[in-house]
Amino acid sequence: MQITQHRNYFKIAFNAMASPCEILLFSDSHNLVKVVAKIAIDETKRFENKFSRYLYNNLCWQINRSEGKKVKIDLETFNLLEYANNLYQMSEKLFDITAGVLNKIWHFKKDAHPPSQSSIDELLPFIGFHQIDYAKKYFCMPKGMQVDFGGIGKEYIVDRVAQLITPICEPEEVSFLVNFGGDLVAKNFNSLHPAWHVGVENIESHRCSEKLINISQGAVATSGSTKRFFDYQGQRYAHILNPITGKPVMGAPRSVSVFAGNCSLAGGMSSLAQLQGKNAEIFLKNAEVEYLCYW
Amino acid sequence: MQLKKNLNVAEKLALATATLLGATAQAETVKDEWQFVGSILTYSEPDRVSALETIFTADKAFDDTAKLSYKIVLDSLTGASANGAIAQDDVQTFTRPSGNGQYIIQPQETPLDDTFKDTRAQFSVNWSDRLTEDSQYTIGTNLSREYDYQSIGISGELARDFDRKNTTLSIGLSYANDSVSPEGGRPLGFSSMVIDNGQFDDEQDYRNAFNATRISGDGSIDTTELLLGWTQIINRRMIMQMNYGYADVKGYLTDPFKVLSVIDSSATAKFYLYENRPESKKQHSFFALTKYHLNDSIIDFSYRYIDSDWDIKSHTLDLRWRLFAGKNSYWEPHVRYYQQSAADFYYPYFVEGTILPEFGSADYRIGEMDTYTIGLKYGFLIGDNRTEVRAEYYHQTPKSSSNEQVIITEDLNLYPSVDAFTLQFTYYFD
Repeated sequence: MQITQHRNYFKIAFNAMASPCEILLFSDSHNLVKVVAKIAIDETKRFENKFSRYLYNNLCWQINRSEGKKVKIDLETFNLLEYANNLYQMSEKLFDITAGVLNKIWHFKKDAHPPSQSSIDELLPFIGFHQIDYAKKYFCMPKGMQVDFGGIGKEYIVDRVAQLITPICEPEEVSFLVNFGGDLVAKNFNSLHPAWHVGVENIESHRCSEKLINISQGAVATSGSTKRFFDYQGQRYAHILNPITGKPVMGAPRSVSVFAGNCSLAGGMSSLAQLQGKNAEIFLKNAEVEYLCYW
Repeated sequence: MQLKKNLNVAEKLALATATLLGATAQAETVKDEWQFVGSILTYSEPDRVSALETIFTADKAFDDTAKLSYKIVLDSLTGASANGAIAQDDVQTFTRPSGNGQYIIQPQETPLDDTFKDTRAQFSVNWSDRLTEDSQYTIGTNLSREYDYQSIGISGELARDFDRKNTTLSIGLSYANDSVSPEGGRPLGFSSMVIDNGQFDDEQDYRNAFNATRISGDGSIDTTELLLGWTQIINRRMIMQMNYGYADVKGYLTDPFKVLSVIDSSATAKFYLYENRPESKKQHSFFALTKYHLNDSIIDFSYRYIDSDWDIKSHTLDLRWRLFAGKNSYWEPHVRYYQQSAADFYYPYFVEGTILPEFGSADYRIGEMDTYTIGLKYGFLIGDNRTEVRAEYYHQTPKSSSNEQVIITEDLNLYPSVDAFTLQFTYYFD
């Protein structure tokens, strides 16, 4: 963790959730910044320790190795599952936190090939949120299935951190920006504070490699295939997978950034848009959200 | 078709996120709580030592970064241990280390001293805390007490993280002072064991002779150790660790209960000399460990090399493989191979009439040997609590020494092998 003081703000920087994480605060109180840093890092690490797919014996690990047995869950897990279920229903089964098993056969890096249809067919029975049986206290999933909270976790934790530091920043009129690898929330408590200029990562476009946006209030989340894709026989295969076909969504924008009141909503909308493929922009227009779309 | 439905999708999702975030999932942190672990271990070498050990640890976390750990170990040992003398075709009589009484060893049996009975209590406390964002320190003290031995030690360690915590370097220093006060006093090195075969006029006569083989006061040992550590995260699945240690040990390093047989050319023991070891030892150790996470198992492999100016060089290879079976249990097979060369003053016996070396000991533990251990651990839950059961078998094969000078018949079995069984039960009260 690093705290640096800039001309009129402090920057807290640390690494978590496989991303560089930053919190910017319009404040001159080093003490307040230290308190905010501790709260933010503790909460982020707590979440990461609990839900990361990569940690041994955490909740996610237990769920993914439950082999059809019931696993005890808590309220937070239940709420995340409910939210994932909402996305699943709204997207007509396209947004699915059980789709991660496809990553066993799809490798989105340069010079990769699509896997065979038979290897896709083998995995499809292990996908489908509707196969999960869960309630407030337990979670149960057929053997061979996996869940990955990665698709909703980062936006959720950005919102959580913003929520937790608000009671400290608001009374002191300290405006802030929480930015975890491009998923961000800004809150403004003093009209004198200028907007933050934030780079939104997108593609290796010739004209601008980074688009700067101004934000002082609200959230932005971006999803896209800026780095994770391969070209094969003239087709671009990007990392957003359709869990029904087991294949990448074709013709989706390279990146979609959505502006919304909170980061989870922004992230949900940008993911849903990506899953619409070439109809992404129409989807976003109809949903009447503010967005940036790069093809 | 699909697009019509999407008209209010943002609003629907906004409601879902409001539920998610409004629910303010309380962080269920386990801060500032005690954690207790209890363990019972039995160790047995058939016909030799058996031990029962209870271990209790208590950890308390403070402010997320600091931790206080207590550990209490209670041991009780009974049984017999090899006294260093070799087996004979005749009955052998030895004086007990205290000078009070004797023990008799049957023909062709390895002489074991059965006076061995002790209880040991050990207490240690450690405090660790973050020093800066990237560094951490640990300080601790250790006290151990048994009937004729006590030890007090202090230690400190400083660790610093580099490269976003992928690399950790550490330096540790420790110091311990031990004091040895065997019942009946410490024997004078290379003095001859006084055995009452009826040659003494009375008890006082025997006592005077016995006391002449004793040196006054308690033995004291000072141990200073330096430990340098390097831990490296290679990737999400793999961790490597390397340690270098240097130990400087000074003082009374002789084992007051061990003797050497002095034999004639027909391998008959004529008398016994108390052993005599150097008063200092300098030891270097090197340790490397790799931990690798596979999908459903963890492999843990380590190698240790120790070299000392006593010329004991040892290699240890240790492999553990933790295989997860279902969500809350695992099996962990364990194999260890250990090989050691003999100390330069290791002699299985002395030959009558030859010039004594400066130092000598027939303690099988400093002779050349190979050992292996095979074990299995099973981890599971009792209720919600972690539990482990471990069983291990250990076999030690001593090797013949180059310091042998007399042909000894095989039935006297100069280098008896040792077997040991360990059973351990551990319960996490959290």
